[in-house]
Amino acid sequence: MATKAANPLASDVEFSLDGPLAAYWLATVRVLTGWWFFHSGVTKLLQDGLAYSYGPMYLKGMEGTALGPIPVLMGEHLAWLIEPGVPVFETLIGLAIMAGALTRLAAVGGAFFMTLFWVGNAEFGHGLVNGDLMGLLLFVTMGALAAGRYFGLDAVLERTKLVKRHPKLRYIMG
Amino acid sequence: MQDITIDKALIGLSSALILTGVVVLGLVETLAGQPYGAAPMTNEAGEILATPLVDPNIRTLLVILGVAVLGLRALVRMAQPVERDTSKPTGATAD
Repeated sequence: MATKAANPLASDVEFSLDGPLAAYWLATVRVLTGWWFFHSGVTKLLQDGLAYSYGPMYLKGMEGTALGPIPVLMGEHLAWLIEPGVPVFETLIGLAIMAGALTRLAAVGGAFFMTLFWVGNAEFGHGLVNGDLMGLLLFVTMGALAAGRYFGLDAVLERTKLVKRHPKLRYIMG
Repeated sequence: MQDITIDKALIGLSSALILTGVVVLGLVETLAGQPYGAAPMTNEAGEILATPLVDPNIRTLLVILGVAVLGLRALVRMAQPVERDTSKPTGATAD
């Protein structure tokens, strides 16, 4: 009864993450999302090493977007970070999401990347909803649903003494 | 109580911003006629024949703000003290 009072939409079709299908599917989507970013990052590392010069160039070309001068300024002044950062962070975000470790922290990073790609690529010929926005939504979903707790390492990490002593760490896990 | 209200308000604001940017303004764009997407319509020579009614920058900004509000909500929650689990273990033996 208490559940129904809190959620008037609760019914037989309520989405429940303790159900086997939802948990398995969430874990599957999480690993696919992670692989997508890991592959993107690691292939850049194999091809360009830590000198991914296209990154700053791409940001410098993002003039007149909803993000204002931020990406252009990043491209002009943070090239030292972006050139190694794009492949390294994509790889690390992908690994973390796949393993389900520090999932929310990684999801924030992935959402940041995808926001830049969505706005920068601006492939809006068929509307705003495109693959880049879907990628952004995937990362937000991973964070919102704490996807790392389902067959991910965060389920184990959250039980460690360190996390129990510092429970706020759970905000970047799950 | 106030924390719960703020929490719900931030979640609602986030959803409203994202749905307005994508769905509501997308519907407006569709009803306004070509281009139905959010990019200018061009001919083969690249000349612009028609531009979107709503600037895509405004729509993308609404979505970005919606995601940013979710981030703000996360920061608000992180700033709040963590509730300790004070529940007593069940199944304790009678003494």
